[in-house]
This record gives sequence, structure tokens and C-alpha cells, in this order.
Amino acid sequence: MVSDQATVDVSSWNGTLSLSDFRESASAFAEKWKEFNSAVPQWSWVVCPPRPWIAARDVDGYLSLKNAFLPRYKEEDNIGGCQIGEEEPSCSDVNERTDNAILVRSYGHEVHFYDFHVVYNSSYRVPVLYFRAYCSDGQPLTLSDIKEELPASSMKMLKECKWTFITEEEHPYLNRPWYTLHPCGTSEWMKLLFANDALVAKDGVVAEQYLVSWFSVVGQVVGLKTPLEMLHSCTRL
Amino acid sequence: MAGHESRPVLQFAPFQSSVDEGFWHRLSSLKLNKLGIDDSPIPITGFYAPSAHPQVSNYLTLLAESLPTEPCEQSSVATVIRGNRNRCSAPGILYNTNTLEGFHAIDKQSLLKAEAKKVWESIHSGEAEEDSAILSRFLLISFADLKKWSFHYCFAFPALVLDPPATLLDLRPASQYFSIQEAESVSAACNDWRNSSSTADVPFFLLSISSNSHATVRHLKDWEACQHGEQKLLFGFYDPCHLPNNPGWPLRNLLAFICSRWKLEKVHFFCYRENRGFADLGFSLVGEALMSVPQVERLMKGWEDPQHIPSAVGWELNRGKKVPRCISLAKSMDPTRLAISAADLNLKLMRWRALPSLDLNVLSSTKCLLLGAGTLGCQVARMLMAWGVRKITLVDSGKVSMSNPLRQSLYTLDDCLNGGDFKASAAVKSLKRIFPAVEAEAVVMAIPMPGHPVPSHEEKGVLEDCRRLNDLIESHDAVFLLTDTRESRWLPTVLCSNTNKIVITAALGFDSFLVMRHGAGPGPINAVHDSEAKAVDSLRAAMGKSSLMDRDGGKRLGCYFCSDVVAPVDSTSNRTLDQQCTVTRPGLAPIASALAVELLVGILHHPQRICAKAEFSNSTDIGRTEQPLGILPHQVRGSLAQFSQMTLVGHSSDSCTACCCTAINQPTYLEDLTGLTELMKSASSFEVDWDDDINNDADFLEI
Repeated sequence: MVSDQATVDVSSWNGTLSLSDFRESASAFAEKWKEFNSAVPQWSWVVCPPRPWIAARDVDGYLSLKNAFLPRYKEEDNIGGCQIGEEEPSCSDVNERTDNAILVRSYGHEVHFYDFHVVYNSSYRVPVLYFRAYCSDGQPLTLSDIKEELPASSMKMLKECKWTFITEEEHPYLNRPWYTLHPCGTSEWMKLLFANDALVAKDGVVAEQYLVSWFSVVGQVVGLKTPLEMLHSCTRL
Repeated sequence: MAGHESRPVLQFAPFQSSVDEGFWHRLSSLKLNKLGIDDSPIPITGFYAPSAHPQVSNYLTLLAESLPTEPCEQSSVATVIRGNRNRCSAPGILYNTNTLEGFHAIDKQSLLKAEAKKVWESIHSGEAEEDSAILSRFLLISFADLKKWSFHYCFAFPALVLDPPATLLDLRPASQYFSIQEAESVSAACNDWRNSSSTADVPFFLLSISSNSHATVRHLKDWEACQHGEQKLLFGFYDPCHLPNNPGWPLRNLLAFICSRWKLEKVHFFCYRENRGFADLGFSLVGEALMSVPQVERLMKGWEDPQHIPSAVGWELNRGKKVPRCISLAKSMDPTRLAISAADLNLKLMRWRALPSLDLNVLSSTKCLLLGAGTLGCQVARMLMAWGVRKITLVDSGKVSMSNPLRQSLYTLDDCLNGGDFKASAAVKSLKRIFPAVEAEAVVMAIPMPGHPVPSHEEKGVLEDCRRLNDLIESHDAVFLLTDTRESRWLPTVLCSNTNKIVITAALGFDSFLVMRHGAGPGPINAVHDSEAKAVDSLRAAMGKSSLMDRDGGKRLGCYFCSDVVAPVDSTSNRTLDQQCTVTRPGLAPIASALAVELLVGILHHPQRICAKAEFSNSTDIGRTEQPLGILPHQVRGSLAQFSQMTLVGHSSDSCTACCCTAINQPTYLEDLTGLTELMKSASSFEVDWDDDINNDADFLEI
């Protein structure tokens, strides 16, 4: 756990993060993201209603990035179970047919939206990425749909790395199934990640940069790249 | 009219809807827990925001928060918070029907009219001037199929139709319309408006620009105040549309409002759009619309006569067609599917690091037959499910009695009432409650036993049972002998030894247990699991069916009945353990059941399967113990009194009543195998007078 003194010697560090450090790290991450990724949607902190077992002073919540979208490369009409039946004669209406003030839009390309949540897991004491994807009408995409959309590099990572294990689990706050990367390897590879960083070795582990480094790895799996400058700016802290 | 033809009709890009999963989740729970059959309309709230991306329009979105909260969860769920700049609320109404037929039978046109009337009345009453969001009122009809977790729905965004339609005099990016100074001031004023929590979600506004290029954003109700002085006045709205040549849908009702309220003919409108959270005037549009005089006059007439309502349009199309949408959330709502994916998770995680060679497919496809659904049967079934075994058949003829639920972990008091359910069926019911995807089957049947006299009129039934048992064994891969009497294990042992099925026996004493796997039978192995098994087969053939020999020239492993004969003589094993089955220390059955299942998993993962040699704890044969699951013993005997456990081996006996060569390989014997006569004959070889009355537990105790 990263201590309250904000830094700790990397050799004795176990790769985990305390809840308060998570929040601190989360806000630092969101700020940095805003600075270097202004073109894509922004992360925001979602406050959750307090739960009885959490001390009242702790504000419970998670980081959320909504409606990120990836334009689709494949042209396919019936993805995600959107069913189109026969046109109902009963609902045809003379007005609508003749109303020339309605712009007739083409429905050629379907956009898929992604939501990402970064939730603190108090058992593993690490952040966990939850995500889901859906068509514009809200129909959720299945994992195989998602995998088809991810860039080739992500698929490579999923195949090669053992920790990139996508499972469907109940979202701890929404109580609905979301996809997640299982957290059991996180502390280990975070430790490796920080151990290889010369600056960390010199100055100790800084809680603030935890999430930036963490996301630079997990973001790749789901096709969200962390700009290099963001990492550099953090290590200069 | 001819004059208008030269000018293009102002075309509005229809609103698009997007419904978050959370909305359907909450609607389902609302319907189930609160509404029931009540299908009266429900007020809901939709959310939208100005378009913030040059390629994507903003959708009118329904979230879980769009629905009223259920009373029981009022404390924990925050109500809709106003002032969120990305969630401008629009009032809506939901008609959720009880049936699909009801959904299709809805008179959509009159519903749309009714909603349009509300818009019209709010314009008429001046309400829209105070709370402009009313202009974006919407309508949703739906049918929630809670059994299939699919939702049929259709949105309407009622728009009052101007007749003849408004025409477009001019439309261009706002950055081209405003001077540089004006543009700067407009951006600043809009950003202030968007950043103040009191106005951030007010989607319609006035934009006035004074002669000195100073821009101000005001509420619609301040229109009168803006009529003085030399200034440009634009009607602004949050434009969800991203298209460069068309304003979005909310402008339609705004124009109708302006036209009827203030009787304006020429109107400048401002389509407010954003980029990165700030006003983007290159992306925003400014246009000038012309509404014809007759139209204004007609509207004025309408103004005087509130009964007159302009016609309305606005049903959302589904990819260009007038077809209701349907969304299926079975994947995220069907508890069975959720249970399946969750159940696999733990096993997959085991594969990940601890047991990469764990074969989940073999486990899930192995058909297990459990003979006996008592203390051992219940526990074995649960353990099998925990390991990912999905095909389980339980055989038992008994009923659940009041004394059972405490020890027999699949039963509850309910199963004992009214004379008690059959154990097999109650167990299957319970397994399905634990894991709905289990393929569990119940067979209510008594296992024919030697030594139990069969009255002649029941002869046929017993014969039929023998045949049925044989069929059951034939159709399964592994058989667990979990009955509480020794003699009931005999016939299954013979049948399994003939067919070379995996057999695992668990038997209990008062404080000691035996868990063992039966060796392969003396006959050739029919079920070929892999090439090695084939090798065993041919080897066996070459050895002229030397029935006691294994492929390595070692002895075959014994069955339950051989080991009883050849077991080491000590005080524990000398006892016939099963005799005392129902009088045991309660911890014993779970321990033995768990070991029995672990033994099966070991066999399924062993390359030689049923022919695998017996291995011992602390075995010196280290090469063999390198299986990821560890050693594969033949027998495990344990004593709770000693808190000890040992692994033993018992080789097959050539005079075994259940698996010896003569019993299996002599054709006449096999022919008679399911015959009652043979059963009766062999029964006489048992000296003990067995008692099958399970209610007389105390009588079993051997002292």
C-alpha cells in the first residue's frame, strides 16, 4: 500500500493502493487526462450513496468515462440483436409521410459507444477497470462483438498476457454485469512497472502517478491509449 | 405559395433516442415490485445535451434515473439533480403495456396528438416561457417482456407542424455569421450560461447582441425586455444535431412557440453546439427562418381558439422504417445466463495459474450417475457442481424424511412435508435452484439387491429395474456408489466392471470412512479414451485376458468387494463400514464426499484414466506424482477419531463376487446377469441377514 506520506521505497512496496490514495490518484489522473486528451470524453468522479460498512468520512465512488465511441470498420446491419421487423401498416400516417420538414437521414453507419469505470477493489487493494459497449439504441454488445472491434494490438495482448483476463462480473455499484479485467495480477505487474522506473527507484512510489501508469497498461487492452507525454509529465512530478 | 418554392424548406434532423440498460433494469423491477398489472402512464425524464462531436449527434437518453424511484429505495437513490450541463432534462411520458398485443394495438396517432396538445397548451398558457424544457416533451411506448428480457419500444418527439412549412433564408456556421468581436462575446456568454448551475440545463434561450458587439444570454421570458434598443436578437437552443446543414429537432417547437406567442415572421435562430465543453462557433449554426404570413394568421386563429391544435409528427423511425425497436437484455438480465458465466469464472481462474491443464470441457461433459441421494449423494452432487460437472443423474427410491435435512444438504423442511418428496426429485430441484444450468435428472428407483427376497408378483418389476440400472450405467461415464447398504452396491459394481465405467465408492462408518475408485474390469476396455487406452486394450488381448493383470503386468485394482476381502486386517477396516452409515459423525460424509469427487477429477485428468496405477502419499515413485492434481490413490481410508487419513491399494481378487473374471467373462453368467434367478442365487452367498429398513437406524450399529 502506498503510505500517507505519499512516497514509499519501491523495494518494500507490494503494488497496492489504499482507498484514500486511490481517490487522490484518481483525481490526479482525471486532471492529467483532461490536459493531454481534451479531444476525447473526460473522466469524472461519480459519487455513490454511502454504504453502511464504509466510514462516513470516506466519499465512496468511482471514475467514469462515458460515451467514448469507436467508429466501426465493418459494415454489418444486424449487429447486436437489433431486430427489424416488417413495417406496420397501422402506424403509417399521412402527415409524417408528407411532412417535408423532416430530414430523412441515412442510417449507414452504426456507432458503438463504450463506457469505462475505474473502481477501487478493496480486497485486492488495486483499481479495476470495468467497461461495457452498446449500440446507439442501447443494445449491449457481447464480448465477442467487442473483441472484433478492438485494435489488433489489443487482441495480441489478450492472447499473450495472462493478466488480461476479461470476465463478465457484476458491477459493484450498479449491480449489473459489466466486463472487467480481473484484478488478481494487478499488484504484481504494477510492482514490476514501478520497479523498472528509475525515477521511482530514486524518489519512491508516488500515489498520484499510480493510476496513470496503471491505465497506460490496461487502457491498451480496450483500445484507449495513454499519450506518452502524460506519463512523462507524471514522472516529473 | 409560389414564392416559397424557390426557397428551401427548413428541414429538421429528427431526435434520436438511446436507452441505457439501467432504464430497462429499473423498469423491470418497477413493473415486478410495484406496478404489477397497473399500466397507467408513468412520467419519466429524458436527458440530452448539445452535440459535442462533429460526427455524432447527441441522443435523447433514458437512464435508470429517468424513472421514478421505488419507494423502498428512496433513501439510497438520488433524485434527478438539476443543473447537470450534460443532462438537460426533457419531460416524457411512458406507456408500458402488459402484453405485446397491447403494445401493437396502441393508437399511436392519438397518443402523439395528446402529447402535442400538451405542448400546445403549455405554449398557450405561457408555461413554456417559464420552463422551456416542456417544448422537448417526448413520448415512449413499450412492452417489457420480463420472461425473455426483451423490450419492445417506440419513441415519439411530438413536433407541431407549421403549414406551410418554414423556409430557410440563410444558414451558416455561427463563426461566419458573427463578427470576430461578437463571436468572442457570444462564446463567453454561452460558456457562462453553460457553467452556471442554474442555467446549464436550460435548453432554450435568447441571445441578444448589442450594437457594441456585446452578447448576452437570457431566458425566453425576457423577450419583452429585449425589444428595446438596437440589437440583434437570436433564439438559441441546445442543438443535439451535428449536421452542418440542418438544425436539430428542438427548434421545431421553438419556432412554433415563437410564431404563435410573438407572431414573428422572420426569426434568427442559433444552434448551440460544443467542443470539449466549450461553445464551438465553427460547429454551431446561425440561420434565418421565414414563416409565412398565412401561417402566422392561422396560428393566431388557433391562438384565439385553444381547441384548435396544429397537427403533429414525431414518431422515431427504426433505421428509416416505422417499426418498433426491440432490445434484448437476456445476456445481462437472465439469471441463468449470469449464473453460468459466474460459475465458470472460478474454474477458469484455477486454470489461469494453479492448474493450467485443468480440462473444463471434460468435466462439464462427464455424465455422472449417483446411486443414492442421501448424506453422501447430496454432498457429492454439490461438489461435482463446484468442479464444473454439469450432467448429474441421481437415483434413489426413498422419500425425504424429517430427520434428513440436517445432514443431507440438498433438502429443507419443505421437502419433508406431506409425506415427503422423493429424494431424487427433491435433490434435482435443489440442484437447479443452486445452479439453474445444471442438467440434473432424477430417477426414482430401488437398486435390486441380493439377499432381499423378491415376491413373485414383483419379479417383473425387479427385472425391469435391473435392465434400467444397466441402461443408466451404459449411458453415463462415471458412477458413484453412495447407498447406505453394502448389498445395494453389488449389482452396480458388476455392471460397471463389465462396461469399464469409472466407479467411485464412498462408505462411512461411525467415525471412519472409505473412499475408493474401482479398477478396470477384467474384460477389454470398450470405452477408448485415448490412444494409450487402446494400447492397454491390445496388450490385454495379447495377454489372453489374464484378468488380474494390468498393462504394466501389475495387478488390476480391486473393486469395493475385492478390497473388503483382501483388506489389511486391522481394527478399523475389519468392520463393514457401510453397515453403520447413518450413524456417523456429521463431519464424515462431507469429507468422504469431497474426497470421492476429487478422486473422480483426478481420474478424469489422468492419462490412463481407469487403468491408472495406485499411487500413495509420500510415494517414492516421484515421476508419477508430477500430475498437476497430485497423486491418484486407489483407496483413501480415514478416521476422524484419529484425525488421520491413509492411502492404500487393494488389488483385485480372483474370487471377488463382483468383478472377477468368471463373474464377468463367462458368457452364461453375463446372460443371466440381469436375470432375477442369478440375483437370487448369488444372494444366498451372503450370510448376513441384511436389513433394508432405513428407519431402523439403530439396528445397524455394530458393536
